[in-house]
Amino acid sequence: MYSKEELFLAISNVIDPEVGFNLVEMGLIYDATCDADGNAHVTMTLSTKACPMHQLIQQWVKEAVQKMANIKEVEIELVWEPEWNVTMAEAHVKKALGGG
Amino acid sequence: MFSVSQDFAPPFKLISPFFILGSLFYLFATIFLFFFSAENISLLDPKVLAFVHLFLLGFVMMTIFGAMAQLVPVVLEVGHFWVELFYAIWPLLGIGTALMVVGFLNSAALLPYGGVIVLIAMMIFVMEIFLTIKKVAKFNLVITSILISNIFLFFGIIFGLVMALGYAGTIEVDVNALLRSHVFLVIGGYIIITLMGLSIVLLPMFGLSHGFSKKPLEIAMSMMSIAVVLVVTSSFIDFTILEYLGYTLAILSLLIYFYLVQTIYRTRARKEIDIYAMSLMFSYFSMLVSLIFGISYLAIGYEPLLLSAGWLIFFGFFGFAVTGHVYKIVPFLVWFERFAPLVGKQKVPMLADMLPPKSSSAQFLFCAIGVIVVCVAILLQNDTLIKAGASFLVFGAVALIRSVMYMINYKLN
Repeated sequence: MYSKEELFLAISNVIDPEVGFNLVEMGLIYDATCDADGNAHVTMTLSTKACPMHQLIQQWVKEAVQKMANIKEVEIELVWEPEWNVTMAEAHVKKALGGG
Repeated sequence: MFSVSQDFAPPFKLISPFFILGSLFYLFATIFLFFFSAENISLLDPKVLAFVHLFLLGFVMMTIFGAMAQLVPVVLEVGHFWVELFYAIWPLLGIGTALMVVGFLNSAALLPYGGVIVLIAMMIFVMEIFLTIKKVAKFNLVITSILISNIFLFFGIIFGLVMALGYAGTIEVDVNALLRSHVFLVIGGYIIITLMGLSIVLLPMFGLSHGFSKKPLEIAMSMMSIAVVLVVTSSFIDFTILEYLGYTLAILSLLIYFYLVQTIYRTRARKEIDIYAMSLMFSYFSMLVSLIFGISYLAIGYEPLLLSAGWLIFFGFFGFAVTGHVYKIVPFLVWFERFAPLVGKQKVPMLADMLPPKSSSAQFLFCAIGVIVVCVAILLQNDTLIKAGASFLVFGAVALIRSVMYMINYKLN
């Protein structure tokens, strides 16, 4: 029903309040799919396992996808492999963080 | 929509008193400095003991306990056993600290009362942490560090209470022998091992560091634990080698810990030098200089070197490590409570927006200058310089209170 790009666009409204970038440009969203019945599945990670906002961030991702028309179910899968690192972020994020 | 549990962020009204009282005690400790005379500071002077307890219990422990209310579930990945117990901890710790300070200064009879109240506060804390750890299914290095540090704290406060009873004349004990154990258990065993354990979580989290080995932490923590046990043992059996082996291991442990910290710093993705990064740099720099002074003292025996080392560990290392984290933890808790429910509905601030740039910078600058000036004053035994350093620190402390209150009361314009 929705392409990966469309789902990523919706999720890009979710901003990490600590660093000020959205989760997609941070490279934290690994994959997103949606079947013909409107069941979406998002595979994502966090910059650290000890993130105190992990519940909130997952909730925001879920709500961002749920806002799309005709979405029935949203499943969030939080994974730790591959482990996130800054090379997964977009170039402008790396530059802004100072990592080149 | 699923509800977000408060397991990982306890209600702010439960934690805010720790930070407010902690910064007030910091101010009291800086004012206290005006009553010192540089020429006759000695380790067992009641004024020094009052000052150390005012600073360590009132500021360092108070703020660490508040921070742990939030950090323990984050680090352990389980909710608190009974987080509401923290409502009882800050009043007891505050009253107990005040009584102990008055006890050291004016009335030794008050010491056991203050000591018992502090003991109750800390026992509540330690037991709550133990019961929370019990819920953890799989132990890791950080959880182990919290467990070890709290075991040391448990024994440290027992020793402290026995000493308080000794000072008051209630029982007869060798206070000098117990002092060494008390100091090492609480400072090395609790504060330093807690800072070590938490830094492996917090430093990479805020700096976005990846790809470093945790082995140095394991080694540093083990060495510090052995050092504490050796020094405590040396208090009871007359075996000087054990004592000095303990000191050597403690120094080596801190050097290895410093190596780990600089590795985390080098591998960080986030290069901006904000108030958090500046505070931590000053903190670890103080620790390093303190170690150099400590080693020099062991070599030449000049007591002002030991006093300066202690000063730098307390006001430099602990002080700045704590204030640096206050600038991260308080905005997060306020944000979580006040702004998280508004995400997606209206514009919300970023965490960095909630920091007061002027007062946080003023706090850093005045406190850093104050710490350096007092350190030089102790080394040179110069009374005027102590007062000068204390003046800087008082301004810094006022700026800290202003910063804490700004973050707590932050509202969108």
